[in-house]
Amino acid sequence: MAVITGDGAVTTPNKASDTPRSDQAVSPPARRKLTWREKLRRDRTMIIMTMPALILTLVFAYVPMFGAVTAFQRYSIYDGFWYSAWTGLENFTRLMTDPIFWSAFENTLVISAVQLVLYFPVPIILALMLNSIMSSKIRSFVQSIVYLPHFFSWVLVVTIFQEMLGGAGALNMFLRQHGWATWDIMTNPETFKYLVTAQAVWKEAGWGVIVFLAALAAIEPTLYEAASADGAGRWRRMWHITLPGMRGVIMLMLVLRLGNALTVGFEQMLIQRNAVGRDAAEVLDTFAYYYGVVNNNFSYGAAAGLFKGVLSLILILAANKLAHAFGEDGLYRK
Amino acid sequence: MTESSDSVVSRRHILTLLAAGAAMAAGGGMLAACGKRKDSDSGTTSQDKLKEILPAFVPNTSIKADIPSVTGANGAMSDPCFLKYPSSPVRTVTGAVGSGGSYVGMTPLWGAIPPSSGNAYYEAVNQAIGATLKMQPADGNTYDTQLPPLFAADKLPDWLQIPGWWASKLSLGQGVSKFTDLTPFLSGDKIKKYPNLAAIPQVAWACGVWNGKLYGIPCYSSAATFTGAIFYRKDIFAKKGINPAIKSIDELFNLGQALTDANAGVWAFDDLWTYLADPFGIPYKWAEQDGKIIHKYETEAMLEALAWQQKVVKAGLMHPDAVAGNTQNAKQRFWSGKVVISGDGTGSWNGDDWKSGTAANSDYFRQAFDPFTASGSGTPALTLGNAAGLFSYLSGKLSQEQVEECLAIANYLAAPYGSAEWLVANFGTEGVDYTMTDGNPVLTEQGNKEVATTFQFLASPSSATTVTSGAVDVAKAYAEWQAKAVKAAYKPLFYGMNITEPAQYGSIDQPVEDMLKDVRYGRKTLDDFKAVVVTWRTQGGDELRKVHEQVREENGTGQ
Repeated sequence: MAVITGDGAVTTPNKASDTPRSDQAVSPPARRKLTWREKLRRDRTMIIMTMPALILTLVFAYVPMFGAVTAFQRYSIYDGFWYSAWTGLENFTRLMTDPIFWSAFENTLVISAVQLVLYFPVPIILALMLNSIMSSKIRSFVQSIVYLPHFFSWVLVVTIFQEMLGGAGALNMFLRQHGWATWDIMTNPETFKYLVTAQAVWKEAGWGVIVFLAALAAIEPTLYEAASADGAGRWRRMWHITLPGMRGVIMLMLVLRLGNALTVGFEQMLIQRNAVGRDAAEVLDTFAYYYGVVNNNFSYGAAAGLFKGVLSLILILAANKLAHAFGEDGLYRK
Repeated sequence: MTESSDSVVSRRHILTLLAAGAAMAAGGGMLAACGKRKDSDSGTTSQDKLKEILPAFVPNTSIKADIPSVTGANGAMSDPCFLKYPSSPVRTVTGAVGSGGSYVGMTPLWGAIPPSSGNAYYEAVNQAIGATLKMQPADGNTYDTQLPPLFAADKLPDWLQIPGWWASKLSLGQGVSKFTDLTPFLSGDKIKKYPNLAAIPQVAWACGVWNGKLYGIPCYSSAATFTGAIFYRKDIFAKKGINPAIKSIDELFNLGQALTDANAGVWAFDDLWTYLADPFGIPYKWAEQDGKIIHKYETEAMLEALAWQQKVVKAGLMHPDAVAGNTQNAKQRFWSGKVVISGDGTGSWNGDDWKSGTAANSDYFRQAFDPFTASGSGTPALTLGNAAGLFSYLSGKLSQEQVEECLAIANYLAAPYGSAEWLVANFGTEGVDYTMTDGNPVLTEQGNKEVATTFQFLASPSSATTVTSGAVDVAKAYAEWQAKAVKAAYKPLFYGMNITEPAQYGSIDQPVEDMLKDVRYGRKTLDDFKAVVVTWRTQGGDELRKVHEQVREENGTGQ
């Protein structure tokens, strides 16, 4: 595991000791192990710098995890954690036999799969296209425009889609006024998974480009020059230089995406749930909200949330292992 | 709960050890003391017991309305209507109100939160009541999710508003023990010490009674509370020469066909679902049929209403945005004339609505259909809502003197429309936050920023129909409709009774409500709905029926 120690200079002599020496016996004594105090003094700047992030994670991510105990209780706000009745695994057994939960689970997986296939490649392709634009003026102009929707809230994005593609939106009013059949896009449960993917692409693809552009910028330009000199064309350069250069980042993003596979956009679904109905729009997060928070059945919601959390952890670890198997770094270097 | 106390203690102990680390990490305090475990109460009170507890009713006679209140059926009464604020307002409170105490009040607010410091309106009210009420308005849309943590952490403010429609969700029958029992202060003749509170009708106090004790102070009470009404654009009807006197749901459908012009972007209907209940006779929640208690999901009326709504959607008479479940822009659609017939709460029929509507179309006028039945036969019946939907509660930690001071403040805030105190409590100081325009108070620019519905959610008088934004005709039209509506009023089963349902059945309605939407918008069939109701019965619907049958046996049905 690559750990930044901040003492790269100190470790070099150790490496030097690996090289063959004429007299092993008189080699300098093995470096004394640093005490806990010394390490603390040496790394204090780093520790201070990471402290805010650590505290934030602790307070807002780890401490609230204690609330997961409610998944094993029949939690009542008046009784609190301490006095609510214990029910063991009752919430989970109910969850496992609840067809609505499994329908939400299925929706989550389907939408996630559709997004993986249709959304994930878009920022990569966009980055390649942007990278090929020579004029930096045009490039930054296009980039700003595709970034912009990232800063819109989901409410606004859905409203814009409704105004453009809804039953009384620009497109359908145009079709109607010309005597053509209208096209039901916003309230069709069958095609909802593609609609939400399209919305996600419109809103987030531009933003997703950033990390891939950074990866492109890191590729040594001399490689392209050398390849050109050897007579490699545009496509060959892309296949043999650009894509291999981006592979590490693509794998990292893929691992992160898989870890988040069960999170497919709570707000986006919540806003459009009435339009297409529960069967199409209920995902794990909205299930926990409707059956937990809304109906004051916190324990059931917590059980659904915990189940999702554990599955997500398994997924991200599995995806990471896969990345390592392909010889990539994944989340961390092995 | 049947567990032995031993097992509870040992589990608690384990949990304490487990949590100690987490609590320390959070800097302690996170897991402050929690309430004692107790058996849950049904929350219900019998009618006889209620009579003993309820405060006496002493109506105010010093202020005369322009259009007096009309007595309707089943105890319903229209609100008195004022076309002008009385030119020399009477004083209803004499002597000092508070005694310099300081209290924190938390209320929901559906609007922009006003500044808390340097707010002349807050200062004017605090000066008038001789105490400091530190108001903490919180976003009304998420208010229900802000309350549970307050209860769980035992961090309740001194004076708290809890809207009645969230009571069952919060299992308030269990939670009221955290508040002051007001019975010893207000029941019977004791309330006469607070004449403005005594002028609030008993039916309004009744919903503030839990487990045989009076806890809630009613706000915005009215003996003419209805779910709402089906509204139409009177100006558009007049222009098209359409007669709004409809007699059946079929006539409404025909109107819909005549009014829809999709090519011009005009649809006849918004989503009327909630407001179809009265024409079709869907009960509020429970109803009696041949002596058996049935839920609204199980009624024929529900199926008929669903079938009608499906017909409307299929015929393309409902605005597509409404079919897409967008309710937040319903008012805009109505104001702009993209929708001609829309359902809404009766509270939407006021001068501010008229102002917004006329901004879009200068002829704009909102009018409600007179009550009618779907079948066209029989007498129309409107479900009478609880006489108060909003209640404030005083923290159980206040001393007796503090409670009395708060009640004196409540008495001030409950001063009726037309009094000098009402102007201060609702508008602050004349010349600063409001000016009198055409005999009615109108907010100044400063007032628009500072004045918000805050103190009123702690205590307020019975409602009056008043002129807002100078729209006298709107107030008249509303008063006229209310006079007709109260004649058609009927009390639903368990009227005004606080029944706490067992929490484990809290979410069984959700699949049915989801299915209702699917059927309403034409995505599913009536048979699908019937099937989900069968599941509802087995998942706890039948158990809930038993709970209500028991309540009926022990405490009656609130008729």
